[in-house]
Amino acid sequence: MSVAAASVRPGGGPAHKALARKVLGRIASGVVVLWAAITLAFLSVQIAPGDIVDIIVGDQIPTPAVAAAIRAEWGLDQPVIVQYFSYLGRVVQGDFGRSYMLQADVGPLLLSQVWPTLKLTMAGVLVAVVFALSMALLTARRPVAGRVASGIELFLVSTPSFWLGIVLLYVFSFTLKIFPVAGDRSLSALVLPALALGLSLGAVLGQVLRQSLERALEEPFALTVKSWGVTEATLRLRHALRHAAIPSVTLAGWLIGGLLSGTVITEQVFGRPGLGRITVDAVLSKDIPVILATAILSAAIYVTMSTIVDLLYLLLDPRLRRGGK
Amino acid sequence: MLTRRQFGSLIALTSLSVSLPQFLAAAPAPQAITFAIESEPTTLNPHLNGQAKARVVLRNLYDSLLARDEKGGYLPWLAQSYEASADGLTFDFHLRPGVNFHNGEALDAAALVVNFEHLRDPAYAANLAAGPASHLVKAEAIAPLHLRLTLAKPYAPFLGFAAGVDILAPSAYRSEQLKSGGPEVAGSGPFLIDTIAKGQEIRLRRNPDYAWAPANAEHQGPAYLEAVTFRILPESAVRVGALQSGQVDAIEGISGNDVALFRDDEGFSYISAFNTGTPYTLFLNSQSGPTAEQAVRKALRAAIDIPAVLQSIYRGERQRAWGISSPIEADLYDPAIENAWAFDPAEANRLLDEAGWTERDAAGLRAKNGTPLVIRIVQAQATVRDQRDVLLLALQAQARQNAGIQLELDYVDAGSYAERRKLGDYGSIPNSRTPADDGIDIEYHYLPLDEGGSVNYARVADPQVKAWLTQAAATSDLAARHALYAKVQDFVLREQGYALPIYVPEDQIAARADLTGLRFRPYFQQPDSLHGVRFDSEVAG
Repeated sequence: MSVAAASVRPGGGPAHKALARKVLGRIASGVVVLWAAITLAFLSVQIAPGDIVDIIVGDQIPTPAVAAAIRAEWGLDQPVIVQYFSYLGRVVQGDFGRSYMLQADVGPLLLSQVWPTLKLTMAGVLVAVVFALSMALLTARRPVAGRVASGIELFLVSTPSFWLGIVLLYVFSFTLKIFPVAGDRSLSALVLPALALGLSLGAVLGQVLRQSLERALEEPFALTVKSWGVTEATLRLRHALRHAAIPSVTLAGWLIGGLLSGTVITEQVFGRPGLGRITVDAVLSKDIPVILATAILSAAIYVTMSTIVDLLYLLLDPRLRRGGK
Repeated sequence: MLTRRQFGSLIALTSLSVSLPQFLAAAPAPQAITFAIESEPTTLNPHLNGQAKARVVLRNLYDSLLARDEKGGYLPWLAQSYEASADGLTFDFHLRPGVNFHNGEALDAAALVVNFEHLRDPAYAANLAAGPASHLVKAEAIAPLHLRLTLAKPYAPFLGFAAGVDILAPSAYRSEQLKSGGPEVAGSGPFLIDTIAKGQEIRLRRNPDYAWAPANAEHQGPAYLEAVTFRILPESAVRVGALQSGQVDAIEGISGNDVALFRDDEGFSYISAFNTGTPYTLFLNSQSGPTAEQAVRKALRAAIDIPAVLQSIYRGERQRAWGISSPIEADLYDPAIENAWAFDPAEANRLLDEAGWTERDAAGLRAKNGTPLVIRIVQAQATVRDQRDVLLLALQAQARQNAGIQLELDYVDAGSYAERRKLGDYGSIPNSRTPADDGIDIEYHYLPLDEGGSVNYARVADPQVKAWLTQAAATSDLAARHALYAKVQDFVLREQGYALPIYVPEDQIAARADLTGLRFRPYFQQPDSLHGVRFDSEVAG
């Protein structure tokens, strides 16, 4: 986005202050959001049906001694309110408890899965952004090309990522043998999952971006800029794109936040490690420590994403940078 | 609309017509393989892991006291011999000398005492402590290589448990990794854990000192393969494609639709084995709802054409089940149950008419006194596998068309499942279980709920059944046990219709043709360790 930053730059002082205020405000509200996420998640798993002891016992024989041992092991013999505060206390110290089902500490477990998911998400977003930008810039206000692009995008949006993943694997891995099938081992193993994940996201963004781009190109400023004698490419890249970007950036931030849960199918198909699979398994088996920790993590990701989006607004639209009213 | 599974099969089928280049040309024999598996083990501690699907990994890491032959007889392994006292109360095991755990600790009677003491502790392995290990009162080292286990009262299935349980190094019980499993939870098996990449793969390397394989192993020394990578590929179609394109050397869990791809291709080998334990069965709630009526239970089984359903869903690659145990468990199973009832829609309708389910709604579904004939099938979402969701849809269609019975399918989370199961809030729970445990599984299914019937989904509370099961567990006379289990089977299935067995689950393994030695364990029928597996250059793809 260096293109955007290159133009009119208003006085630095107020802008920096506004920026600092924004960031500080964000951090404060972020902490509140995190606390609310923990509390809501804690409440909802308490309200959800089924006694934890019954779930952990599963098909085994629930003798009183077994039930008591389980309650003692997981601290379930305490009143719920005590469990809540002791959980909060431990979270503050970075202790997220131990998974009922995986029998492992949740903190290190999730940490080991963050990077694979983050890698996949970033690669997917890269695919999405490149795809959306090129589709929109090349085809906005070009009726035939626009219709073709729109058709491709519609197809991708309505394609389940499971299906897309299998088709990509079948063609590029099983038949052409260009990319390996699975795992998180090399960069080439990232290509197909990133495409499977990124293309449908890119298609959504592309549609939004093309529409706002077309609107921008119809505005009077476009004619003005054109009368300066700049090329069509410069008009689109330097001027129209910045006007058109804000809705797409908002949407992208929201979609990327949702990718955390959206990666599950891609991870499943490609046999990749990651948060998605762990989260789904935890929800299905009511593995409370993992559910709570992923709730905290996704709240943190949403807070981070929306902060980045807000900062991007400042970068994109000079009017917001002036600070104050 | 295609379901995901159907689509997977479609892709796999398409590949039949596309000639794939084979990667099996003679190359220097590699000493390592990659084995793609369906399910990631929840924990690598074998005592805490209840997944039958995890055995394919765990069997490589840990050994047991005795192995079994095809008929269930006991063979030397870590123990060279054993004696059971005449009163059935003590078992003496004489251990093989010179066996060491992966970490160098000696495998002796003292190490086994540590194991059995922990198995009795509910805070360690609750399921085992409350189950078979609850019969144990004392484990003692009589001599360095002489272990004695003493029971409170005779319990015939105990020997099978003690002989088959995985043995861990004593230091494992002090490790931080004990519950999750890991390299510190050492065993004595032919392989040990090299690295674990959660969600992706588990790498094993050869135990170079291994010299104590079970008596029926292919050879006694260290494994042929230097390393094995178990890669987790949950999607069936992806495992199939990975093997076909030579990216992995072996896979397990092959859907009925894909079997022909490997069985009929010279470039691959394919083996399968029926699981032991309880077949996939609809257990019908005998205490509440329409299924509390014997007539409804018998009408349901007469209304469903099981062979036709299995043919359409698995292409005939699954065998119909009849009994309370798997047909391969010769010591438990009585084939007299086969064909004890028949697909007979007229009979189903007659039974329901007689029982007063005569009202019909617009769709032809029956009701009695305004109560519709609905049987709610409750299944935990996490346990759906092997196309059982599609299978249940087919059963649903049959019951509706042939007898006006509505099967309602409820897929629920673990919490709802545990709650509804506890309260008996269901018409049927379908399930299968895969242990090899000398009849313990039959007890779990048919003893009263509060007396050890931990998976008594049919909620059978019959004193006669309990008496038969108790007698069977107390005798070591195999013929007498067989006769008692036959009585239980005849009563709960043929006479009462408490449960409707559907099919026998099985394990499947496909591999490149030059990889030899893959097999299922005799008697247990689960994938064996990879101790005897190697590349055979004579077998060209």
